[in-house]
Amino acid sequence: MLARTAEYLFWTGRYLERAEDTARLLDVTYHRLLEATPGHEEVEAWLDVLRAVGLADEFEVSGRTLDGWSVSEYLVLDPANRGSIRQCVTQARSNARGVRELLAVELWEALNSLHLDLQSRDLALDVQLQPHELYGLIRQGVQSVIGVVDGTWVRDDAWRFFMLGLLLERAEMGVRSLRIRQSRHDEDVHEWFATLRAASALGAYRRRYATFEPEALIELLLLSSTLPRSVLFSLRGAETILTDLVADERSLSLRLLGRLRAELEFADPIELVGPGLESTLEVVEARIREVAAAVAAESFLYRVDLGLHSLHLVPGGDPR
Amino acid sequence: MRFDVRYRTVFSYDEQVSESQNELRACPTTSETQRLLDYRVTIQPAARVFSSVDAWGTRVDAFGIRRPHDSMTVIAEASVETSGSVMPAAAPRLEALRQKGFVDEYVEYLQRDRHTDFGAEIARAAAEQVDLVAPDVIGAILAIHRFVGQTLRYTPGSTEVGIAVDDVFAGGVGVCQDYAHLAVAMCRSVGIPARYVSGYLFTERDDVGSPAETDAVVVQTHAWFEAAVPGAGWLGLDPTNGQIASEHHVKIGHGRSYDDVQPLRGVYLGPGNSDVEPVVEIRRVPPIDLWRSGANVSVSAVDAVPADLPLGVRRYSDPHPSGSSIRQQQLQQQQTGAVRTGSLRSGHDLPERPAPGKRNQHTRT
Amino acid sequence: MHTVGGMSGKWFEGYTTDGFFDEAVDGGGGLRPHYESIASTLDALDPADLTRAERRRNAAFRTQGITFTVYAEDDESTDIERTFPMDLVPRVIPADEWAFLERGLIQRVTALNRFLDDLYVGGMQIVKDGVVPRWLLITSDGFTPEAFGVPVPLGARCLVAGIDIIRDDQGAYRVLEDNLRCPSGISYVVENRSALMRVLPQLFATEQVQPVDQYGSMLLHALQRVGPPAAGDSPTVVVLTPGIYNSAYFEHVFLASQMGVELVEGRDLVVEDHVVYMRTTQGLRRVDVIYRRIDDDYLDPVVFRPDSALGVPGLMAAARAGNVTIANAVGNGVADDKAVYAFVPEMIRYYLGEEPIIDNVETFLLWDPDQRATVLDRLDQLVVKPVAEAGGYGLVIGPHATDAELAAARQQILDDPRNYIAQEVISLSRHPCLVEDHLEGRHVDLRPFVLSGEDVEVVPGGLTRVALRKGSLVVNSSRGGGSKDTWVLAHAAGDASADGEDPGEATEVLTAPVRTAGLHPVGRR
Repeated sequence: MLARTAEYLFWTGRYLERAEDTARLLDVTYHRLLEATPGHEEVEAWLDVLRAVGLADEFEVSGRTLDGWSVSEYLVLDPANRGSIRQCVTQARSNARGVRELLAVELWEALNSLHLDLQSRDLALDVQLQPHELYGLIRQGVQSVIGVVDGTWVRDDAWRFFMLGLLLERAEMGVRSLRIRQSRHDEDVHEWFATLRAASALGAYRRRYATFEPEALIELLLLSSTLPRSVLFSLRGAETILTDLVADERSLSLRLLGRLRAELEFADPIELVGPGLESTLEVVEARIREVAAAVAAESFLYRVDLGLHSLHLVPGGDPR
Repeated sequence: MRFDVRYRTVFSYDEQVSESQNELRACPTTSETQRLLDYRVTIQPAARVFSSVDAWGTRVDAFGIRRPHDSMTVIAEASVETSGSVMPAAAPRLEALRQKGFVDEYVEYLQRDRHTDFGAEIARAAAEQVDLVAPDVIGAILAIHRFVGQTLRYTPGSTEVGIAVDDVFAGGVGVCQDYAHLAVAMCRSVGIPARYVSGYLFTERDDVGSPAETDAVVVQTHAWFEAAVPGAGWLGLDPTNGQIASEHHVKIGHGRSYDDVQPLRGVYLGPGNSDVEPVVEIRRVPPIDLWRSGANVSVSAVDAVPADLPLGVRRYSDPHPSGSSIRQQQLQQQQTGAVRTGSLRSGHDLPERPAPGKRNQHTRT
Repeated sequence: MHTVGGMSGKWFEGYTTDGFFDEAVDGGGGLRPHYESIASTLDALDPADLTRAERRRNAAFRTQGITFTVYAEDDESTDIERTFPMDLVPRVIPADEWAFLERGLIQRVTALNRFLDDLYVGGMQIVKDGVVPRWLLITSDGFTPEAFGVPVPLGARCLVAGIDIIRDDQGAYRVLEDNLRCPSGISYVVENRSALMRVLPQLFATEQVQPVDQYGSMLLHALQRVGPPAAGDSPTVVVLTPGIYNSAYFEHVFLASQMGVELVEGRDLVVEDHVVYMRTTQGLRRVDVIYRRIDDDYLDPVVFRPDSALGVPGLMAAARAGNVTIANAVGNGVADDKAVYAFVPEMIRYYLGEEPIIDNVETFLLWDPDQRATVLDRLDQLVVKPVAEAGGYGLVIGPHATDAELAAARQQILDDPRNYIAQEVISLSRHPCLVEDHLEGRHVDLRPFVLSGEDVEVVPGGLTRVALRKGSLVVNSSRGGGSKDTWVLAHAAGDASADGEDPGEATEVLTAPVRTAGLHPVGRR
């Protein structure tokens, strides 16, 4: 497969997942705050959302006020924010458009419909009047694309690169949400429940644990081997795919990913929880990025990071 | 006269360059007044060279390097034997320039391009020179040649490649390339076909042009021009030093302007800037034999050029101003549509796929 | 004014030809025989049926992304993707007329291939023999010295040619323009057919229409035939696109997927030791034939525009070394020049020793003092065109022009006579088009696609473009044009047997017209 094609597919997966994760975060934050008293807590909560999607600094630069409406608008529809949901979907679609010839018609149609839907809606109004419906719609839209992927795509390298991007994004987003949540050092059960809900894990949590325990959270969201949105689960999936993709067993990306997965696999949640947790999560997040960088270096190398310069000589003048 | 020419150019880059693709035009041509005896190209880092002859008759050596490198050395070594231009015995009149067959044969050397796109000032100056000696064509060519030599002051480093010929004329300074372009433009403005010549000159000073006292000199490539004389062929003149092209002029090739016979043109891919160091060593060596060629260029005669075809009137316009983004270039393809000027805003600290047209973000993750 | 009489159909009620040549209705107001079956099928439909069909078709094109893009000046987020409107009434070309067109097109493209090969690698014999003036070729914007000496296997320089054909007021077919660089539109030919079969399958019930979906395999076959000798029997072919921002990107995707080959951008390709490779996740893979949809100027920054980020550095040297074939060949633009176009009939006589089968539109060459004088006298009755523009840009239509426009055209001609031509105004033929609940005549042209490989072949039909605005003569998609499905009938109207085809082909035609997956026209016998 063309290196560029592989990269397009990888990023189609990433951007789609990012759109869904952002919608999930906004949704649960919005709902949690409906029950809370406005004020300081609210500002903190929205700042957490921005941090979790890695856009806190960008948001500050944009000069917007830090409140629910403004953050939601920024993350849903701001055309200047390349991380907004609308932009993510647009970019997922542009990337997919770059590999149209490899995609099944149904898949393209599903993705294109989601894009056209977001383009045609008055998102600002939706954010204001029916945010829950909007976030649900985005989640369903993305999931219907992923459903088509799952149900129709031949398991070839094209599919693998798509899924690899999607799973690495999901893992990274998952770690970051945990880290941001963790950094608050508070024991607010509602906040944690929101984090669980964003990962579709609240039900699973209630079934398995009777009370609120920080290590239980880590166990479930970071280390669960059965919860589809846990970090370990995503990394395992990514590792399986990467093993099929990479012919060379000494591949750096595979080694990095294998090591990270093994460390998480055999980690003890009780040891992880504590003052060192935040920095552990930071390391995990950085490792996931290293894996992505190694995949890029191994598979996506083409002429993109290089400037084009012309050479010419002028006759005349003094010889040197 | 026999010379050994050693052309050596070193490109050094600030940072590693991953790829470089180039075309070299450094090989002396074989013509009525010159014969190539030996030629060899060496590239470092080593590269396979593919040689061909271009539309203008110049040998082109194409080569690419696809390994990381921080410098590139190009060496072209030639042995060549020259005999200088001879002043034609014919004395054609200006009317001969309008003959159908003549215009048809030389039409490419009557057009404008980006280096020879002259304005009214140049045309007026040329017309004045021609009027002084009318109706003699050779007289007109020599008058323009002299005028260019007197009008421009030789000033290394005063101009850059790509300068408009009108600006050269207005500025009054330049290097050999500017002299040649101005002479070519003036000739064309009065209907005399003229072409740009690239080559080597055996002299210690380009602007004086006197043959070197020693047997070896270190120079750069040189440029002069040739004008077509009805009934007699091309006449080579070097306005930079006020000479007829002599046996000390080693010609590489000719073209409509510099672009057609650039000594080296190429591109490289990499982050940094480059520094160029071109050096030509010319060594005079004893001749091995006396050589003259009687070959004539065949002439095609199509009797179809209308007498009053106003050739070369259209100002040259650059159809593709440079500096456009990849997105703009994609847009420009096969449509005369919109050209975007805004730049893409860079993203946030999340890993982000470089959008087409967006560079240097590839390794941010 | 003719009103179609004798028709029970509600669709043609009040339909007038307004004195134009109409594709469906003859001068006496009667329906032409090859439109009878369409007319009777339409009669069974209500306007609402057609409106619904049209909506379905538009929605399908939109979700499938069969669009061209109108780009905003400076804001990516406001780019608009439009579908190319398709009128639901197909254009029908009877078998005998098509046989004539096919012969004419093959003849023309054969001569153009010979001409371009002669110009760039053959020593310009046509100039030496005094048939085409040298100066005319040299001064053409499309003349490309960089193409000298670059070999093209089989001399198939116009691998894909789009020849624009119009019909004059007598119904005679004429060539208006040759598009020999990167003609586009073939994807609409195939997609229009498949859309029409989907939304109005009834129309196909009673007609044997020649299929068009074999285009991809025809193109691939032609491209494989022009591979460099070293590549052997199955050279690796790629489609080279400028990228997703190009307005014709959909077509590039379409072609790559129809041929089952990689769609590459310039940055996917690399030249090493004068051999072209594509970068894959498994390393470099050799490329032998490049079907490029990038203009010459952008192909190789070493030779052409040095800032081109779309091209492949070193590509031209690889082509010159005979290690890769670029299709269409570099330098074809010289034959698109409208002043050179005027010499195509001469080229046909010179290279083939034949008389042209399809005539040119009569063209005045403005460098000729006599022709120029004639044109300047009659400027308000003629069309003036710049020689280097395609797609109707810079056109001045005398009868519709203001005095100021005419004065400007006159000045342009006087300033630069070589770069303009003039032609008689040809009122393009008209064709019934659906306008709300009835049919009205709209002007149409036809762009058949001609492929050169081992042989020169024509895809049946081509792209019929329609000027959707009433009275307009402009059919370009960017300027209010639409398209129609174009039918070439498998045999002559009223003739049940295959029309002069060899039996093998006839069988193919009889079974093939509706082979698009899963489509079974209602009531087909």
